[in-house]
Amino acid sequence: MKELLTRRNIVIGAGSAVVLTAAAYEGVHLLRKRYAPSPYDDLLARLDNRDADTQIGEAVLADVDDFEAKLVAAQLRARLERESLTQATLHDVRDGHMLEAGGWVLPETLALLCALAAKAQ
Amino acid sequence: MSAFIDARSVPEGTLLRPDLAIVGGGPAGISLALALANTPLHIVLLESGGMNFDAKTQALYGGSVVAAPFPTLDASRLRFLGGSTNHWGGWCRPLDEIDFEERSWLPHSGWPFRRKAIEHYFARAQSLCEAGPWLYDEAGKALLSVGPVLALGQGGVVTRWFQFSKTRDGVLPTHFGERYADDLKRVRNLSTYLHANVTRLGLDASARTIDELDVATLSGRKFKVKPKIAVLAMGAIETARLMLASNNVMASGVGNANDLVGRYFADHPIPRDTATLVLFDGKLAPFYQNNTGLRGAIVRAGMFPSENYRRSNAVMDSSVTIEDKAALDDLGHAAVAATAAALAVDSGNATAFSLGCGMEVAPDPDRRFTLEQERDVLGMPKLKLHMRIAESDFVNFRATLKELGRQLLAARIGMLRLNLKERGQWLEGLDWGNHHMGTARMHDDPKQGVVDANLQVHGLANLFVAGSAVFPTYGAANPTVNLLALTLRLADHLKAVLR
Repeated sequence: MKELLTRRNIVIGAGSAVVLTAAAYEGVHLLRKRYAPSPYDDLLARLDNRDADTQIGEAVLADVDDFEAKLVAAQLRARLERESLTQATLHDVRDGHMLEAGGWVLPETLALLCALAAKAQ
Repeated sequence: MSAFIDARSVPEGTLLRPDLAIVGGGPAGISLALALANTPLHIVLLESGGMNFDAKTQALYGGSVVAAPFPTLDASRLRFLGGSTNHWGGWCRPLDEIDFEERSWLPHSGWPFRRKAIEHYFARAQSLCEAGPWLYDEAGKALLSVGPVLALGQGGVVTRWFQFSKTRDGVLPTHFGERYADDLKRVRNLSTYLHANVTRLGLDASARTIDELDVATLSGRKFKVKPKIAVLAMGAIETARLMLASNNVMASGVGNANDLVGRYFADHPIPRDTATLVLFDGKLAPFYQNNTGLRGAIVRAGMFPSENYRRSNAVMDSSVTIEDKAALDDLGHAAVAATAAALAVDSGNATAFSLGCGMEVAPDPDRRFTLEQERDVLGMPKLKLHMRIAESDFVNFRATLKELGRQLLAARIGMLRLNLKERGQWLEGLDWGNHHMGTARMHDDPKQGVVDANLQVHGLANLFVAGSAVFPTYGAANPTVNLLALTLRLADHLKAVLR
């Protein structure tokens, strides 16, 4: 009986696995919805679901008269350099910094990130 | 045991001379009569209706409502023995200490005494409501085995508890007329007249004493009652009507020298679909949604602004109950997922619930009843209600709901959607608790109240008012157990006065 676990076969198998994994990763990447670049992409990377978060952001913006995206982005960058989104969220609710999105009572940082997502459209 | 007397069979022109005449056989009137049982006093209880609903009697409630939406005046109460307990929901909860306090931020607030003045009477009031042992805010600890109280964390809104009236055969709740009819019949010093409508409070020439009551039946019979003391226990609307309509001696009516009778009317607005509550793990103890048995009582959890929060944030009282499961729209799903992710909690089992709400309104002298030209079949002027609800009342309540939303997030257990914002949204589908209050408000100063701390009408030696008509402010608690405690306190006062 012919030996299967030859050095040659192992090398070929491992190489094939690497190629398939890379192809799968690239495939998913290619299938993912792409968004036009925006000045806030570094911040928006913290959000999980860009379409859903954009929807939230549009509802936030409907209640805000003077939303200055660049200023908000700068403030959020400064804050999120110091603490995680979860920490910022908990600090918001502790301190009563809340905004509404279509009636949903949201932590301010999350709401503003979503608003930036809407602005980035 | 003596049968009730049908006023339609009383000979025309009869004159009754009791020590005490109680006008109205609702919960206050019945409880007052029972509390004065077996005293030396001869008491007459005059009830407009009979033992059951009668359309012609009910029609005597007819009147009109202008301005804000409110039920028609003949729809929100019942005119037969037991009064509006014949259709109440049995919800009970005592007022809080803060409800009695004068608050600088709430004009016209302040009772002439503190809560402790009526605390002694709560147990008996609770018993009359058949609401079981006095548990209320002790219920949470006792129900830990059933499920946890929502961990709302630090903040303004806390879980507190309702209790419910219950009566024999498991039928909710206690209808005072049916329940206490035999007890009333057993009271030897009491004569209860059914179908007896008091149509006029007759002042003597000095206008300082009630000299007589005119009584009429729908069959046309008329007679008089000359009591030493009269107590109006007709509910906040009819009490105002009788006092205003009895204007043959004083043009402004009885007890209305300062134009206060009929003003400050209040009820508890119940806006529909006010908010949607989401719990990330979907777990909710059953006592939030359903009545739950506990030690012979029936309890249910609600969420209220704490007294400290009310003081420090200048908000009025309100209550929130968790009702049916609710569906989320796309924005709702997005908001729940994004928020849970930001809080680093799982929302895979997130469940939404609609909230039931009850609000306190601020005292308003212009929310009032006036007499109309049109009269009912007994010749009584009909009433017009000038209904108002302030924008600030909605804003105030919305702030409390928003605080609840904040607390849910802080505790990382859920979140809240405020479904109503604009005034039109609040008014659309607005319901009311049918908790009529305030038209004969209590205050030590005759210029600020119709009755004094003993419920005696200012300026009149022998006229008292029992019931929630005397409430100066209203809280969000259901009024029955509170008005009964006040009535029992009045009974003690009358015993002393008539001794």
